[in-house]
Amino acid sequence: MWSFRSPGATTTRRGVTQVKRFRKGAVIAATAVVAFTLAACSDSSDDATNGGNGNGEPQGNELTVWAWDPAFNIAALQEAEKIYQQDHPDFKLDIVETPWDDLQTKLTTIAQSQTYDELPDIFLMQNNAFQKNVINYPDLFSDFSGSDVDYSEFPAGVVAYSTVDGANFGVPFDNGTAINALRTDVLEQAGYTVDDFTDISWSDYQTKAKDILAKTGQPLLSGQAGSSDMVMMMLQSAGASLFDADGNPTIANNDALTESAEIYTQMVKDGTFLEVNSWDEYIGTLVNGNVGGTINGVWIVGSIQSAEDQSGKWGMTNLPKLDGVSGATNYSANGGSSWAVSSTADVALAQDFLNSTFAGSTEFYDAILPSTGALANWLPAGDSDVYAQPQEFWGGDAIFQKVVGFAANVPSNNTGVYYYEARDAVSAALTEIVNGADAAEAFQKAQETVEFAMQ
Amino acid sequence: MSQVTTDLVAESNQAETASGRERRPKISAMARRRSLTGWAFIAPAAILIFVMNFWPMIQAFILSFKTGRGNKLSLADPIWFNYARLLHDDIFKQTLLTTLLYLVVQVPIMLGLAMVLANILNSPTLRFRGVWRTAIFLPVATSLVSYAIVFRTMFGTDGFVNDLLTKLHIIDDPVNWLGQTNTARLVIVLGLLWRWTGFNMILFLAALQNIAPGTQEAAKLDGAGPIRTFWSVTMPQMRPIILLTVIISTNGTIQLFDESYNLTGGGPAYTSMTMSHYLYEVSFHRNPNFGYGAAMSYVILLLVAIFAAIQVRLGDKRD
Repeated sequence: MWSFRSPGATTTRRGVTQVKRFRKGAVIAATAVVAFTLAACSDSSDDATNGGNGNGEPQGNELTVWAWDPAFNIAALQEAEKIYQQDHPDFKLDIVETPWDDLQTKLTTIAQSQTYDELPDIFLMQNNAFQKNVINYPDLFSDFSGSDVDYSEFPAGVVAYSTVDGANFGVPFDNGTAINALRTDVLEQAGYTVDDFTDISWSDYQTKAKDILAKTGQPLLSGQAGSSDMVMMMLQSAGASLFDADGNPTIANNDALTESAEIYTQMVKDGTFLEVNSWDEYIGTLVNGNVGGTINGVWIVGSIQSAEDQSGKWGMTNLPKLDGVSGATNYSANGGSSWAVSSTADVALAQDFLNSTFAGSTEFYDAILPSTGALANWLPAGDSDVYAQPQEFWGGDAIFQKVVGFAANVPSNNTGVYYYEARDAVSAALTEIVNGADAAEAFQKAQETVEFAMQ
Repeated sequence: MSQVTTDLVAESNQAETASGRERRPKISAMARRRSLTGWAFIAPAAILIFVMNFWPMIQAFILSFKTGRGNKLSLADPIWFNYARLLHDDIFKQTLLTTLLYLVVQVPIMLGLAMVLANILNSPTLRFRGVWRTAIFLPVATSLVSYAIVFRTMFGTDGFVNDLLTKLHIIDDPVNWLGQTNTARLVIVLGLLWRWTGFNMILFLAALQNIAPGTQEAAKLDGAGPIRTFWSVTMPQMRPIILLTVIISTNGTIQLFDESYNLTGGGPAYTSMTMSHYLYEVSFHRNPNFGYGAAMSYVILLLVAIFAAIQVRLGDKRD
């Protein structure tokens, strides 16, 4: 006889409405909550498939690229796209600007979580990091075994970086060949010319640098404190490495390394090498004329040339070589990068694109040189007229042709998987040596650090 | 009759103790429905927190027992290999000491400074209090990365600080702040002080304003000086807030990352690097060894937990 009433209901009409409202409200709230949860759940499961273009499905016409540096790599890519479009009008290149640190972190994250759909078709990679990434995460890459890329047209030393177990994983691009850039007006003040610095040894360089410091008050070199770039360049110029061919660290008892460290420390003490704290300060020393020269990869040209008031006051030559070390040369490299094709890419299209532009088109390299100052590793590019043109900034010297010539002579070195650990350890050891520690001890400690990291 | 009464009483007593005020099943069903609705509201957030926070924490714990580079992870042998490896890692020990150094030096100074500032700002006779408060709190609103980069530029060899000190003739040559161990650590401590003092000051200020002025007046009447009043009357009443700020500061300092990464980059040869920064290096910059990184993160967790436990033990006198 009593219709069912919810517990606690009063018998007034208002009470019944109250309870009804409460029930209704509860039902609506619960539904909303459940709907929201379902929506959230379904969203997260959709994320895995948003790989964008070139998702493993041969779309045939579009490629996605990750690269850094709009003024350099990305400008080159845009040029390459135009060149490829001459024969393939439907082609489109989607360039995503990604700084190197972010790119490395992204690759590690993608590989570790195995969401390979997120990879682009092509990505740029530092030569030094190639071994580490290919050996640790082979599933990120496609090799170039099925492609037409002619690797004999690239310097062997550079190709070695992206070669693992005989297979090629990258197309070399950015030229990291080291140059010795000098302020000709500073040299003149002290009575020297650029020729006095060509094909010399480090002991000769140090003497001249001290002389220049005494006569002009300018140090001849600058660099970031705690950075091992300079020492690594010296090491590579002698064909020596931080690892042997089997991958064992050779930091302790490494004559070339010890000598390089001694030269570096001596120059800092003499005041001929100015140590600064950050990258911006280093560029500042060049642009503000606080230093008489620099030794770095040829990509530093872009930064040097940003100081327009110094036009005509710079000259370029090769590096000094290490004394008393067998295999010492006047050539080295710092940095440099290569293009890799990912495992989920439209492989045929990507490799054809790279082969037709970065590994096969003089027209392409001619186009990018004036606008970006980008020097390539591709040897046939150096034969073109554009490279032979005199550069006013460098006193009318055809520096680009010079550098391509240098590139052919750069000795290769062993990087291996633990290259960055070794570099960091050497940087730390260098800092200690500059602050007075014994070189042999510091390098022994560095060796132990690397061996520990290799466990 | 008495038995029935006893039973009834016993039953109602039981019902009372079993479910509070509920005496009849009808009301408990209503309450049950209410609590179900409450659960329905909480459930999505709880599930999200579990999936996003607790599940990864459990996975990280399992990960800390695995070794291997990149994706080739397998259970370590012995199972605590990563933790044992930490004991031999010189760089880790260095970062541990550095982090503890930051903790011991920075937190007391910061909290002391915050307390002093809070007291000054609490004085009713100070003018432009709003301006001072905003100015001291503003650093808290800045981005960690931006301020770290600005500090790095300021303390560079040709930076603002060296320029200023040289002009004021306090130093003759520019000091290499970021290139020497002790000054690099000092710069990080200064950065932390600049950024976080305002935060703690606001908390202390709120606590001070909640203290009954009657207690302080009573102390004054009894002849206590301002310092005595502060120490014996004000501070004990601020105990819960002090405990809170100490725990938050300790937690934040042990997990310090941004300053180490952006300000000094780990300092000359790892000497100003913190544990979290080293963890990041091991996981992303070097050969990815995520098992090792996970083990490190659990050591950090352990440290934070130990410190928090000690502080609660010492500080929280509530029963």
